[in-house]
Parts: sequence; C-alpha cells; structure tokens
Amino acid sequence: MYSRAMPREFPACSGCGLCRLVCPMWRDHRDPRFSPEGLAKALQSGATALELAAPLAACSLCGACDPVCPEGIDLSGMIMDLRSRLPRRAELAALQAKLAQAAASAKAPAAGALLLPGADLRANPSLLARARTLLGLRSADDDGADIALALETGGDIDPARRRQLLGRLDGRSLVVGDGLLLAALRRWLPAARLHSLGEALSNLVAIRRRLASADFYVIEARAYHADYERLVVHYDRLRADTGCALNLDLQRIAIPALTRSLTRKSAPLGDEDVTQVRWMLKGLAPRRIVVESLADRAAFERACDIPVLHLAELAEDSMMKKETPHACG
Amino acid sequence: MKIPLVEPGTIGPCPVAPDALQGITRQQTNPARWNGAGWQDFVAALRAADVELVESVVACGVYATDAGGTAYGMPHGVVIARDAGQVSRLLKTAQACRVPVTVRGGGLTTEGESVAFGGVLLDMSGMSRVLTIDANALTVRTEAGIYWHSLAEELRRENLDYLSAPLNLTSSVGGTLGVGGIDVNSARLGCSADQAVSLQVVTPTGEIVECSDTENSELFQRVILGYGQFGVITEATLRIRPYTPLAMHYYYYSSLRAAIEDLQMLDRNDASDYSGILTIMDCAVNLLVAFDSDEREAAFRKHWESRLRGHGEFGFALCMLGHYAVRPWKLGEALYLLQRKQAVFPEFRRPEYLRAGKMHDRSVVFSRAVWKHWGSRQMVIPDLATSADKFIAAVERGNAICRKYFRHYTLYCVGIKLRPEHKPHYEMSCIPPDADGWAYGCEFEPMIEGEVYSRDHFQAFKNAIYDIGVDLGASYYRFGGMMKGYIRRVFGDAVVDRHLALKRRADPAMILNRDVIF
Repeated sequence: MYSRAMPREFPACSGCGLCRLVCPMWRDHRDPRFSPEGLAKALQSGATALELAAPLAACSLCGACDPVCPEGIDLSGMIMDLRSRLPRRAELAALQAKLAQAAASAKAPAAGALLLPGADLRANPSLLARARTLLGLRSADDDGADIALALETGGDIDPARRRQLLGRLDGRSLVVGDGLLLAALRRWLPAARLHSLGEALSNLVAIRRRLASADFYVIEARAYHADYERLVVHYDRLRADTGCALNLDLQRIAIPALTRSLTRKSAPLGDEDVTQVRWMLKGLAPRRIVVESLADRAAFERACDIPVLHLAELAEDSMMKKETPHACG
Repeated sequence: MKIPLVEPGTIGPCPVAPDALQGITRQQTNPARWNGAGWQDFVAALRAADVELVESVVACGVYATDAGGTAYGMPHGVVIARDAGQVSRLLKTAQACRVPVTVRGGGLTTEGESVAFGGVLLDMSGMSRVLTIDANALTVRTEAGIYWHSLAEELRRENLDYLSAPLNLTSSVGGTLGVGGIDVNSARLGCSADQAVSLQVVTPTGEIVECSDTENSELFQRVILGYGQFGVITEATLRIRPYTPLAMHYYYYSSLRAAIEDLQMLDRNDASDYSGILTIMDCAVNLLVAFDSDEREAAFRKHWESRLRGHGEFGFALCMLGHYAVRPWKLGEALYLLQRKQAVFPEFRRPEYLRAGKMHDRSVVFSRAVWKHWGSRQMVIPDLATSADKFIAAVERGNAICRKYFRHYTLYCVGIKLRPEHKPHYEMSCIPPDADGWAYGCEFEPMIEGEVYSRDHFQAFKNAIYDIGVDLGASYYRFGGMMKGYIRRVFGDAVVDRHLALKRRADPAMILNRDVIF
C-alpha cells in the first residue's frame, strides 16, 4: 500500500510498469532499462550502479514515478542514491564546493518567512525581485544551492553543512524555488510550512485573476510530484477557477517540459526537449504559456512561437504593491 | 503418476485426468528451460542481420517474471522491437536456428506466458507510437506495443477514446488483441480484440503481412485471440469513438446470484453503457452501472432502475447494520467490510477525476485502484468465461473455491457481447464455444494482504478454478489464458489438432511463444 511516510525500496518492485507510463526518460528511449521499473528490476538481479550508469544519467528526476508507484517505493530517492555511487564529474564537485563556501559566509536570516529562490531564479535578478515583492518575502542569502546541486548530481552532503542550513530554516514558513530541494526539505523539516514557488504565486489573487482559459499553465514537475496528494487538489481548483489548461496527463501527473538529464545538464536544448514540448501542446492552441519554472521557459521559447511568461510576470505592476505580505501565511 | 516427456511442438497426453483431481501433480505452463543449442551461431546471424540483442543480466532481469509472479525464467537475450522489418529479421533468423522467441507486451500474463524460459525475449514496448488518427473514420493506426494508457492519452488530445480495453494501464494493444481483453463496457461493445479493423503481422517465418476480415482473413482470424501463436502483431488499426465522461451508479447486494441476474437483465435489455460486478465479500456485492450520456442515464432511471434488487450505499449500510446487530459474533467480518469500504471507495471518487459529478478517465481510476488494492508481486487471478446460462453456476462454484483457499477475495464479473461475424476468431479462444449473444467472464482474485502462501497453494487454487471450466465446458479469458495442460480437455482433440496442424504449417520450427499453448 502506498505510503509517503514509509517509502519502500527496490525489492518491493512488482514490475507493474505504471512508472513507465509517466516517465519522460521512458518516453524518450522506449527501452525498459530506461525506466524506474527497469532500474529496480536490474537491482533485483544484482546490477551495480556502474552497470546502470546510462539510465541513471538520463533520468531528469522529475519524480513522476513516485506518486504512481502502487508499492510506495521511493523511486527518485533510489535513483539519487544510485547516482551518489557513481564517479562524480570534477567540475560538479568544484561548483558544489564553491556554492557551499558562499553559503557558509552568508548571514543568518532574520526571523520570519523566507524565499529560497534557487539557482535559476537567482540568476534572473529582476524576476527574483518581482517574485519577492509579490510574495512579500525576503530571500535567503543561503538558499541551499549547494545542497540542491548535491541532491541532483549525487554529491556528498556534509552533515555539518546540512545542519547549518536546517538550523537557519527550522520553524519558518518557506517558499522554495528548487523542486528537488523542496522535496528534501519536506523530509528533513517535517513540521515546517513549505510551499513551492509555483504554488505560492498561483495562490495570489493578483496572479490568479490574470490567468485565463486561453492559457497553458506549466506546473513545475519536481515540486508537484513531491507533494502530489495535496497539490493535485490545489491545481484542480486553479483549473476550475481560471479555466486554464495544465500540463497534466491522464493520471494528473505533471508532464515536465524538459527531459534534461544529468549528462545534458549544461548542453543546449536538444530535440528531445522540443519533442516533449510539442507533445505537451498537442491538441491545444493556447494564447499564452505560463511557466512556474524558468528552466521550462527556454524549452517552450525554442519549440514554439507562443508567448511564454513566468508566473511572476503575470501580475500587473500596480497590483504588486497591493498584495498582502506572504501569500502562504 | 508418471508424466511423459514431450518434445517441443507436440502435445502429449494430458496428465490431468478427470478422475485425478486430488493430490496429483498437474502439468504446468512453465516448461523446462530451452537448452541453448546453437545460441552463439544465432547471435552471430542476428547481428549480421543488424538486429540488436542484449544479453546482460541487467537487461534480462527485467523480464524474470510476469504479473503472475509464480513463473520465473530468464531469456538468453532480449530484443527491443523497433519496427516490423527488425522483427521480421529476428523471426527469420530464429526460425533458421530453431531458437524460441517469447513475445512480451505489458507482461501482464499470470501463467508465465510472457516469461522466456531461455531463447529470445522480444519486448514489443519499443514499438509504442501512435501512427495516425482518423477522426472522421473513427479509426487509429498504432504500433502494437503501445500501452492502452498511452493510446488513451494520444486519443484524448483529440477528444477521442478507444472502444474497450482492460482496466489495466500497462496492458499492451498487441497483447490484448492476442488474448481478448474485457472492459466494463464489453457487454455492449464486445471484447477489446473485437475493435481491431486490420493488423500488420510478422508471421513466425518472418513475412510482414497486412490482414483484416477482407485481406488475408485466415491469418486475421488466427492472430486475433490466437495467444501469439500465428504471428507478432506489429501494428493495429482500431475502431475508436468520441470521448465521454461517465455517470456512475453503484448498487449493493447481499446475494451474488441476485446481482448476476440483474447484471444479465441489464445487458439483455441494453439498459446501460457500462456494467460489472465487484465483490467485497460474499454478502457485499457491488453492481456498477454507468452511462455515456444523460439521455441513456435518464432512460435507465425511468425503465430499469426500479427493477434492480440492489440498494444504494446508505440503504445497504442500514441493511448491514441490521445484519450484524443480530450477529455480534461476526464483528470481525463487519470491521473488515468497513475497512475495505473506507480504503477502496474513495479511490473511485477522487476529486481530480470527478467533474460535475461525472468520472473522467475511468481506466485510470479503475487501474490505479486495482494495482493499489489488489496488486502485489503475485497476481493470482484465475478466471472463467462461460455462456450466459452457465455463468451463475460457474461463479458460485468458483466463489466456493475462493472461500476454501483464502480468507478474503474479490470477484469481478462482466458480460462480453459477441459479434456473430467474428465467430471464426473465437474458435479455441477465451470465448466459450457454446456462448451465443453474450459470454460472461469472472475473475477470482484472492486478497493476499501480506500473508505468505506457497506457490503450490496458489497453483492448487488456480487448478481448482480451471477444473470448473473443464467441467462446465467453459473457457478462460483475460489474464489467465489457457494453461497448456488443460487445452485438450477444454476444447477437445479435433479442434486442438486442427490448430496444431495450422501452427506447424505457419511455424515449422515451433519457435514463436512456445509452450503457451503448443
């Protein structure tokens, strides 16, 4: 029986194949080895992480497999764990060290709710300022970017560094821009009030009333799948309230815009991403595409000529000033 | 009892004699592992033919068992299907080298039919793209390795839907067309295989042939419901329909017989678009009825609903309360019923699948519930398919067998509308030979509930169910397939020998899906 509280491990995989149905890696390769089921079954047959290096690198860690697994296996956790057993690229280790050094010298934030923007949003200062203003939140100097990178790329997380970050965040209400970090924080800070950037922004009246039935709203997959049971209700309401179309499949699992894997992380957008975007838009003729994640924007901009906006860009400038502080309470 | 050795491609005398129902070892589908003779020559020839073969344990381990989880076997190598030409080259080479090829779609067989006991495992899921959708003619052309779920996703983008498919998201189109497939609308639209208009088939000797009722019809008749004996389905053209959400109604019975009689009454009178029975316990039986349109629903309410003997949820709860109030020693049973209700009922009413009171994407709703509440590493689901008049007897006898072997179990019953023009397809298939108008199917599914049962216990249970089929002159459908050991007793020597002769002609080296039937 599925339980988030007590996830199971790969021996419990029964080979039902439900994870394949929602897996972008599977959609791309059409080879069972490139699926969570294939990985679990290979492990059951005694495979090592090294033998599974290709699918491990190809996984985008979107987490779609987790909520659909009827055995309640933490499949994305399994993949992250296996990644940590692979040899790591030197430049990733160096980048993580650099980010950790910056975090160590960051000032401890004052009390109150915080925005942890994540690397993508931090790289776009004007959008970050807009999101901060809309949400009425300060952004944390230490947003755990090094830990997010370690989670994604299988790096070691220094326990002392993790304690430092959690010590700075514990007891607060947090809006987290990085979906993978958000999922980890849910496990590490079970009592914290945590929201994804997309959920927090889409709760704002100023944003909601600017969404319309001609919009195609792209949910950020990692954050959504990490808190599926709650967020499926949130987004269903959003659809009902605004009439917008959402990137949900038949199982109401978010289809990620990008199929970008670890190996293609720094590469330009590939044909796979274009194919994925075209699949998402098939049968739809939206006037606008609204994305929660900046990473998704580039894929849509390359694959179609429909205007693409980040959620934070939806609110009128005049409305931004009227928002009450911290939309997530 | 001594079981005689049987050469591949022959059927020996059946060791399961009618007078030997107790304590006798049964012949299983699981055969001995192929001995690997000439494998290296085959591999070299295959690579020369530009067919990629994977031999690593990592790749082969994915296919170690099927949904049944009681048959285990490893192929010598795996080929992921990519196109008909590649499948053709594989089969030609395998035929020349006499290497067995086991074809797998979703792997949802329960008797090891999609498990390779040596030889090549051909994974059709690599051919899983929709090719064309004709919204005017209401047909779709698709690669046959596609899962019904993926097909539904593609069709839904154009507000279309397939006609009927197993309530299981990872069934493949090709696999289903080969065995039958049932849905809760099969009483109206027939078994899933009946929606096939035409097929591209790679024969066991490697010819790529298009077939339909009018083109190569003999091959079409043998491939549909043919258990993969006469070819690999690589593409299929299927009839489709406009998509509609469902208005669901549930009626609750304390008598299985009354529920079945009402189900058959609805089917005979075309009173609903969907109908089926799902039991929780012997005294708690659910008849589900659903509609594609408000008009059909209104007609049902006006003419047929009052004739049903089942209760609504509230009324049935009151009945059960009264029942258990005077039977306090059955408190455990009452608590189980309550617990199942609380666990299962919300699955069918999840808000994300309900809009304006109608259920969207029923196959997802049902399939998720099936895997969540009935799925496990061992799916033990023997089944029976009978003519309408034998169905109650079959279900009641099967129910008694379930009670003997397991504490809790579920029965799932549906009708299957037969198409007279498809009678040739039905020969030696899941459709019982004496069925006319409708066939009826029942799956008997024990609730494992964390208990540990031996493989022998499961097999004895399945055999006991299959024996009912033999006794009643029935057949077996959907998951169960036909166990090799039963086939002569079920269909008789004349029919089996005729099909065996056809098989030998089509597949001289008897390489394709060996040991599933022949």
